[in-house]
Amino acid sequence: MAYSDKVVDHYNNPRNVGTLDKSSEEVGTGLVGAPECGDVMRLQIRVNPETQVIEEAKFKTFGCGSAIASSSLATEWVKGKTVAEALEIRNTDIVKELALPPVKIHCSVLAEDAIRAAIGDWKKKNGVAETEAVAAH
Amino acid sequence: MSNCARCQQPMHDSPLICAACGAVQSVAGIDYFQVFGLKRAFALDTVAVEREFHRLSRRLHPDRFARGSETDRQNSLAATALLNDAWRVLRDPVERVEYLLKIEGHAVGEEHAGKGKSAEREPPPDLLEEVFDLNMQLEEIRMSQRMGESAEASTMTEIAAAGKRFEAMLGEVDAALQAEGAKWDAGDAATRAQAAKKMIELLDRRRYVRNLVRDVRAAVTAQALQQELYGGNFVAESL
Ligand code: FES
Ligand SMILES: [Zn+2]
Repeated sequence: MAYSDKVVDHYNNPRNVGTLDKSSEEVGTGLVGAPECGDVMRLQIRVNPETQVIEEAKFKTFGCGSAIASSSLATEWVKGKTVAEALEIRNTDIVKELALPPVKIHCSVLAEDAIRAAIGDWKKKNGVAETEAVAAH
Repeated sequence: MSNCARCQQPMHDSPLICAACGAVQSVAGIDYFQVFGLKRAFALDTVAVEREFHRLSRRLHPDRFARGSETDRQNSLAATALLNDAWRVLRDPVERVEYLLKIEGHAVGEEHAGKGKSAEREPPPDLLEEVFDLNMQLEEIRMSQRMGESAEASTMTEIAAAGKRFEAMLGEVDAALQAEGAKWDAGDAATRAQAAKKMIELLDRRRYVRNLVRDVRAAVTAQALQQELYGGNFVAESL
């Protein structure tokens, strides 16, 4: 199975690999796993408390090329978005952008899960109710 | 039991070949258990099945049908391929579980892809965290190994200990799989449904553990090699 050029590009030059300070109030951390294959992914965001804009995003993925590419792309996409906007990113968008084949769809699901988990963690830390983001749609 | 497509005698043992006339049958609709004349079950007498595998391999071998009809030759090729697949999957305890769950209509592994995960598919958070942290350590080890250096002895000791723990965990998961399999084999429909659900969860968990065991083994092997090549033995011995 051949990877698309975009996957190869993200795989060779992953964007935003790294770690943010987990204990910071402004940082949300999402740690997720893909039961299909046992790969794990951590995605972190730093949110501006005034504007709710995600100003920084980092990831670390131990998994296949598609998972690395999906999380790399996810960090690019969430940056500059508000938390509410970032929640609208769907794994299907990632599948389309990276031209992932059906067996690699779960890798993109992992990235979507990671975004949600990171945002969820940030909300919990900052006492933002889940319903608020829904209302913002 | 079906009947032979050629001589119409009832078929015993494997439905792949007629004991009466020796005709190889079409493989259509035959599952891996049926190949060996078995009912679907998680428990398997691998010694007996291996014997049957070798016997059938000889009987179905395409060489024996080289001068047969086109149908015979095609059937023998297809039957041999099916026999090999069946043995490869059934002999492996984990692949056997996955296969049997699948043909029983359960979604296993990749087939969940993209359908979204249910909460129960999430592993315990502490397992995830531990796996992630150990992966970070492993990456550091690999990095120093790539630069031709041996990783810190203390780091290696730590990771080797974690590897042992995870191997034990793997053993526990496998034992639990076997126990659930036994329940399924002996149980009614309700018991089976419950056991299947449990096995799917165990398989999910197993993949994280299995990956870690595999990666730790690779790191430890690489370290041993490196020490041999670069004389790191001295360090190891002076510990
Ligand atoms: S193969 Fe599982 S995350 Fe890609
Ligand atoms: Zn016959």
